[in-house]
Amino acid sequence: MSAPSSHSKFMAVTFKVNEQAAPAPVVPQFVEEKASLSLESVGCCICETDDAEPLGVGEDFEYNTSPETFLAMRCRQCSLVYLNPRPSLADLDCIYPENYHAFQFSEEHYGLVYKVRRRLESRRALSWCKGLDEDARILDVGCGDGFHLSLLREFGRPGWRLEGVDNSQRAVEMAARSNLLVHHGSVEHLDLPLAAYDLAFLIQTIEHVGDPPGILKAVLKLLKPGGRVVIVTDNTDSLDFKMFKGRHWGGYHFPRHWNLFNPKTIKALAEKVGFEVESLKTVVSPVNWVYSIRNTLMDMGAPRWMTNRFSLESTVSLSAFTAFDMLHQLAGKGALMRAILKRPV
Amino acid sequence: MSLNGKKPVAIIGGGLAGLTAAAQLRRHGAPFVLYEAGPKIAGLAMTFSDGDGFSYDFGAHFITNRLAAAIGIGSKCRTVRYYGETVFMDGRTYGYPFGLMRVPRFAFKGVVAKAAAFKKGNAPQSAAEWYRRNYGSAMADEVAIPLTEAWSGVAADKLSPAVGDSLPGSISRTIMLKLASRLTRRAVACGYSREMPETPNVWHVYPEGGLGLLCQRLASGLEEDIKLESPVEEILVEDGRVVAVRAKGFEQEVSAVVSTAPRHILAKLVKGTDALQPLSRFRYRPMVFVNMRFQGRGLLPDVVIWTPENKYPFFRLTETPLSMPWLAPEGKTLITVDIGCNVGDETWSMDEEQLGEFCLGHLEDMIPNARQKYLGCRVLRTPIAYPVFLNEYEADRQRFELSTGVEGLYSIGRNGEFSHIFMEDVYWRTMKRTRQLVASLDR
Repeated sequence: MSAPSSHSKFMAVTFKVNEQAAPAPVVPQFVEEKASLSLESVGCCICETDDAEPLGVGEDFEYNTSPETFLAMRCRQCSLVYLNPRPSLADLDCIYPENYHAFQFSEEHYGLVYKVRRRLESRRALSWCKGLDEDARILDVGCGDGFHLSLLREFGRPGWRLEGVDNSQRAVEMAARSNLLVHHGSVEHLDLPLAAYDLAFLIQTIEHVGDPPGILKAVLKLLKPGGRVVIVTDNTDSLDFKMFKGRHWGGYHFPRHWNLFNPKTIKALAEKVGFEVESLKTVVSPVNWVYSIRNTLMDMGAPRWMTNRFSLESTVSLSAFTAFDMLHQLAGKGALMRAILKRPV
Repeated sequence: MSLNGKKPVAIIGGGLAGLTAAAQLRRHGAPFVLYEAGPKIAGLAMTFSDGDGFSYDFGAHFITNRLAAAIGIGSKCRTVRYYGETVFMDGRTYGYPFGLMRVPRFAFKGVVAKAAAFKKGNAPQSAAEWYRRNYGSAMADEVAIPLTEAWSGVAADKLSPAVGDSLPGSISRTIMLKLASRLTRRAVACGYSREMPETPNVWHVYPEGGLGLLCQRLASGLEEDIKLESPVEEILVEDGRVVAVRAKGFEQEVSAVVSTAPRHILAKLVKGTDALQPLSRFRYRPMVFVNMRFQGRGLLPDVVIWTPENKYPFFRLTETPLSMPWLAPEGKTLITVDIGCNVGDETWSMDEEQLGEFCLGHLEDMIPNARQKYLGCRVLRTPIAYPVFLNEYEADRQRFELSTGVEGLYSIGRNGEFSHIFMEDVYWRTMKRTRQLVASLDR
């Protein structure tokens, strides 16, 4: 790479300046020395073209894992929104820090929010499991610390066989602590039994992966004919996206969300892979609203007491925006989307 | 380069456009050879540094955070906090564009012109007419036309009205962007990106170590297919289609040619067709950039000073360190003086010391004791600073804007497109052209 040499060239020049400009030495205001990522260029995973327009420019507002600037592009052909260029797989440990929320969404960290979310999510998850046999086999792809699996274990049928998959060693360790069976790796490469599962989840997972068609193809093969996969992901056909898409939209989650869908693109993805779309709805969620505002405030240098009002720990803003998003949900424009896809019989 | 029996695409020129095309061809697995005449890549997108801590660009280049993100050098760029333009006339300064409205005759004639614009009339026939209609006669004659004539070296009634179309957009948008810039303390791009929308989220940044970083990043991994010191001597066309290029006496069969050469030079390179003959008349304005070093900072009232009055040999002064402090050592500054000229004329031929003296004489109007603060200068010259849109070849210009008329020959980049576009425009437009090229190769 040529960057270090140009850097040292600049440093050499500055050094000389220091000598000359005494007594007031020049302190170059460099961006903080954090590791740059090795970014790679990609195209649209649905159309397989790179005919796209730049839509949003931003930084890692939430975790500040790198000093990089990121670009969200929108495919001119199918309207998929995707990060380009994006971190390489080698960068994953850097962009998912130790304190990443999906690794430690616990009662001790999140209190009341944890309890409410547990209640709501268990009801949602159980509704997807309606009609499953006593001994159904269920796979949660991208299970994180096993939040949904533990809900099913607690509130579901005792005979269900629950398994998870996650790419992150940390997530797998967290899940193992709760005695959950979680496979470490990616669903495309793990040697899981084919045509064996009745139901799969990709809950806020598909936006994190590099190759959504690849992962869905793998899931298709693991499902029994007639088996279903439930996908929950951010919705780019929403007001929060429209308002904040230039920079601060919470759903960008720079640089961890690589592909972002709307009802049209999720349908195109399902069909590309060979799934039947059984149902497609939007779902109420306050998170992107709260984080869009938080990112805006952070970017404007707002004081901490103010930004802290907008986080996963702030019950007031979460409830207010839950109510607000319910209004959008009525118009079919909730902040999240839920697709239920079926492997054709 | 693994050809697998496929002929490569020849890319002529290793600047921003050529390297963007090369990187995209690589992504699509299309073989290419990039020919660069000089000993280094980057062309005009290059920064020079001297041993005293000053950095020099060929004019101020505008890189946005969006372009930096697209190329993947965001972490190596610094935010530009402020950028502003001011017009200097009769010993007074007027903020551009709104400060000029303080002059009653500008405001009055401007309003009259706007009102008249509602009436349907013939389209303007020249740049001069375009300015008078859009800005009113006072501002056109005293500001816009003299500036245009100084940078183009041609009377504004001989220039195409398309010169005006390239100026920034609506008043409300400009106000919104300027306001956003104040609020966010970022130099929000306003009038520096045509290809993609300007928004408060897009601002100027500057790469550590200079502009060359853009090209270095684009070129990384492509080194094997870049031939330095290899000027292309001929582009061979048969039956209206490019078939080969000749460089250093060696003929290479090609599937297509992507040229970033100025259009009049491209016309000379192409053999086997006279389709490109009209391009040989296209003119570029040569420019001398006198980078004057001074003791102190903030010698000018703003980053860019436009000087429309005829008594000045230059039309623009830029104190870049007001915008980008890192371009000069602390307590010192750099003022770039832009002088339009012709190759070989008196200005072009003056040596560094003479040019410095020449500019100093005029700068004392604006900067008290300029001579005492002066620390010498560095001069950059380019024969192709700006495309000149002469009315006499306007029809050809418009025709060639769409295509070169030779199958497989693409003319890209600021020089190749013969268009007053900025760095980010060059990037997106090159991406688009290369996409078309890749699609045609696949067919």
